[in-house]
Amino acid sequence: MMVWAQIVEVPEDINHLFDWPAVLPWGINRVVLLTFLATILTFLFLYIPFRKPRIVPTKFQAMVESLVEMVRNTIGKEVIGSESAKYEWLLIPMFFWLFFLNIFEITPFINFPVTSRMAIPAFLAMFVWVVFIFVGIKKQGLKYFINTLVPPGVPAPLLILIIPIEFISVFLIRPISLAVRLFANMIAGHMMLTVFFLTTSAYFVLGPKLIAFPVPFAFAVVITAFEVFVSVLQAFIFTLLTAVYIESSLHAEH
Amino acid sequence: MDPQAAALLGAGLSYGLAAIGPGIGIGIVVGNAVQAMVRQPEMAGQVRTTMFLGIAFTEALALFGLLLFFILFGQAG
Amino acid sequence: MTLAPLLVFAATEERSSLFLILPDIHELIWGIVSFVVLVFLIWKFAGPALAATLEARQQAVVQDLREAETAKEQAESLLEDYRKQLADAKDEANRIIEAARETAESLKAELVSKAEAEADQIVSKARSEVAAERERALAEVRQEVADLSIELAERVVQESIDRDAQRQLIERYLNDLERMS
Repeated sequence: MMVWAQIVEVPEDINHLFDWPAVLPWGINRVVLLTFLATILTFLFLYIPFRKPRIVPTKFQAMVESLVEMVRNTIGKEVIGSESAKYEWLLIPMFFWLFFLNIFEITPFINFPVTSRMAIPAFLAMFVWVVFIFVGIKKQGLKYFINTLVPPGVPAPLLILIIPIEFISVFLIRPISLAVRLFANMIAGHMMLTVFFLTTSAYFVLGPKLIAFPVPFAFAVVITAFEVFVSVLQAFIFTLLTAVYIESSLHAEH
Repeated sequence: MDPQAAALLGAGLSYGLAAIGPGIGIGIVVGNAVQAMVRQPEMAGQVRTTMFLGIAFTEALALFGLLLFFILFGQAG
Repeated sequence: MTLAPLLVFAATEERSSLFLILPDIHELIWGIVSFVVLVFLIWKFAGPALAATLEARQQAVVQDLREAETAKEQAESLLEDYRKQLADAKDEANRIIEAARETAESLKAELVSKAEAEADQIVSKARSEVAAERERALAEVRQEVADLSIELAERVVQESIDRDAQRQLIERYLNDLERMS
């Protein structure tokens, strides 16, 4: 460690990887700037191809269209059903925004997933929590809580056990796991990339071990490819679970 | 035992132990999903979506372990 | 609001022990602002165009499908027609072949019977000719035998008798012979 630190710039601890000082007033640091960038990219991504839409689409338009259709069909219609159109306003921006926030992890010269900071996953998870409770109350009235907490066909004595379990799993674990899944996946990916690229660079600089540097480098390349997949998958899963939670609020039965 | 050492030991153990169950679980989920896809290839799309859901739910447990690692690691530092 | 707990927990001091897993207050606020602005902008500007395009695409696809359906139906009815025509033609051919076979059959029967009749006729004609020939031959032979007998008898008895009376005598004798045989 001591030898490396003199030659390669090595972070003091894990926290150092994720700690960005504010560079502008109002606490705007690198993470916030990247959030803005992702927001702008998402908007342009969804806006430019459809500004002058064509029936025979350009390649870019066709790609965006197929992605939007994927969100609408695979996530919306297949999970929520006939009422999916009402929730597209949430699902479509959420998917693309999360995708851009995630893909920054392996974007050259950025190399930092915004979602590896807890702020945005936590906010989105809380937002989804509010949305699915709101939808439940709107659809089923206050009976929503009874329908959710008391599964049909359970004998009365068991309810003492079931109700707390259901309460914890629906109203506490759901948002927490939603946020943690995204956040932990991205932080783990970022740390893995850091470890392997630091090892590569350290071996490269340290002459005697030069022969070993392709090994961590190969790992780093493989993990980079894997993180592309993870970025898409986590955005997809987050949106899919949002749809699943909304669907579970629409109907009384489980 | 030195509390810092205990925290570091716990940090390592917590993630290691938390990864066992979900590892097996994800294996089962994916294995059965593959079987289902082979048996009914026309349902493959739906099975895949459900498989990812199952993976997500199972994986969350391992990720809670990772979270615990960060908490304990913070205690140690 | 519901986000209040997050704000309370948000780490504000430098590098708390939970620094990694607690949301940073500034990032949280800017994240919320970004998301709200994003949703607003997308459904204000991109949304209608997007929905219209997808709708148009869907319409086009539906149209294409419908056209394909119509074309398929037409092709199927055409095929049905052809199939029917083919079946008709086959029936016609079968009928013609059957008729031809019947004609040939009757022709054959007629020919055979005609040939048989002719053959019978020839045979019977031949037979009657043969019989007549035999009759004539027998008569000739009888004449010859009678003459020879007379000559022989004349020479033997050297006595001339009336030729006609002799003939009658021999005739009678021959008839007797014939009757006896």
